[in-house]
Amino acid sequence: MFRYFWALVCWYFRPLIKWFLHHTTQMCELQRICYGQPSGAPRAFAVEETLEQSRNANIRTLVAYLNDIADHRGITTKTERKILEDAIRTVLVTKKINPTAHPDFAKTFGKCVELIWGYRQLCVECEELRKMPYSVDNPEHEQKLLKLWNLLMPYEPLDARVTKQWQEIGFQGDDPKTDFRGMGILGLENLVYFAQEYPSMATHVLSHSNHPRYGYAFAIVGINLTSMALKLLRDGSAKTHIYNSSKTLPTIRAFHQFYCYLFYEFDGFWIDSKPSNMMEFSSIQEKFENSIRIALANPSTVFRINVAVDNI
Amino acid sequence: MTPCSTWGLLAILRKLRSNPDKELRLLLLGLDNAGKTTILKSLASEDITTPTQGFNIKSVQSEGFKLNVWDIGGARKIRPYWRNYFENTDVLIYVVDSADIKRLEETGQELSELLLEEKLRGVPLLVYANKQDLGHAVTAAEIAEGLGLHNIKDRDWQIQSCIAIEGKGVKEGLEWACKNIKRK
Repeated sequence: MFRYFWALVCWYFRPLIKWFLHHTTQMCELQRICYGQPSGAPRAFAVEETLEQSRNANIRTLVAYLNDIADHRGITTKTERKILEDAIRTVLVTKKINPTAHPDFAKTFGKCVELIWGYRQLCVECEELRKMPYSVDNPEHEQKLLKLWNLLMPYEPLDARVTKQWQEIGFQGDDPKTDFRGMGILGLENLVYFAQEYPSMATHVLSHSNHPRYGYAFAIVGINLTSMALKLLRDGSAKTHIYNSSKTLPTIRAFHQFYCYLFYEFDGFWIDSKPSNMMEFSSIQEKFENSIRIALANPSTVFRINVAVDNI
Repeated sequence: MTPCSTWGLLAILRKLRSNPDKELRLLLLGLDNAGKTTILKSLASEDITTPTQGFNIKSVQSEGFKLNVWDIGGARKIRPYWRNYFENTDVLIYVVDSADIKRLEETGQELSELLLEEKLRGVPLLVYANKQDLGHAVTAAEIAEGLGLHNIKDRDWQIQSCIAIEGKGVKEGLEWACKNIKRK
């Protein structure tokens, strides 16, 4: 009840407060945010909220236009510049901002647009990869799977495509194809990225997974962590990290990096929890996810992968 | 799961209202990739699954009646832990991938070992012949034959063909399970 009442008050008084601030500061709300909020997540969050709540027809059209482009994955290195310029121009004209008097505004605002709609586009791309099932008839998929083996087990060749050896890197049976399930190719790409970009970190984690007491299934846990990373991405929790860590348009690389962080941290969390066996996975994973969510609730959070391990 | 089948499930639970506050423990077992988690998720209208490391549990509640479904991972390495979950099981649900003919013998072996377990003695057995939508799937009757279900004399059993991913047939199996409990 109180919430409803409060929402109503906000709805009526927001324009009034905005009008008052506009006349006292000589700046529109977007300008106040771009100058007042620290860069990264705090600024992008505030811009996102303002744009979403705007009742101005031009701004609403702009938001719908950007949503549509992102949903069709239309922001590329080729088109990005023009899209950002259009967005900036629309706001400058609509809000009657003089670009020569406010040279920094355009740049700062453009950066926020890049982060907000880059994230939206990233969600779409991850969903497409997730929906793509692993197929033995697709040579690209097969090559990626073999690549994963070679990256993780460089000194042990595979005897056959279907072999018990897959269990050494934590697949369930003799053929990993069925293990990707609900995560599709996204699960495989995450694993390959981790093994390729952070080889010593990945082998370090793999060796932990073979621990006689605290061992677990490396690949299966990896696929479950893809599911967790995707959940955090979809419900928007991962925005804090992605906004704070992206210097340019967030791409699939940003998701892979987020995944690598989660995998490495989960491994440490698991070992520290001293589980009695792998049946404790769901409860420990839940605790881990909560700790990540708490960290992401802080707008200044940015996850840095502990690279020290990779230099050893 | 379609709204229709959700209502179906609720109806079953309502029928059991004569048993207030009764909790049922259903144990879902079977080889990896049989579809245990998909069956579990279809009860909660969720659809995305990942291979189960450890176990999942879901409770479906309705008017003081609680159905606790335990879904234990089926990977070979996890199977030794199955026995930790046998205690107080009301119905054993065994899931078979009807299209995985190569492993029919392996799944039969696991099942016959389960049926010899002291803690599962007399517990009714429901077998889901899952993935009936796949072209090379064999019928429920063939699965029953392959598993030797007709030789089971010490408990009630039932085989139910289903397509867990579409929620088809899952309800019918549970209906049998609940009816069986009621009779006890």
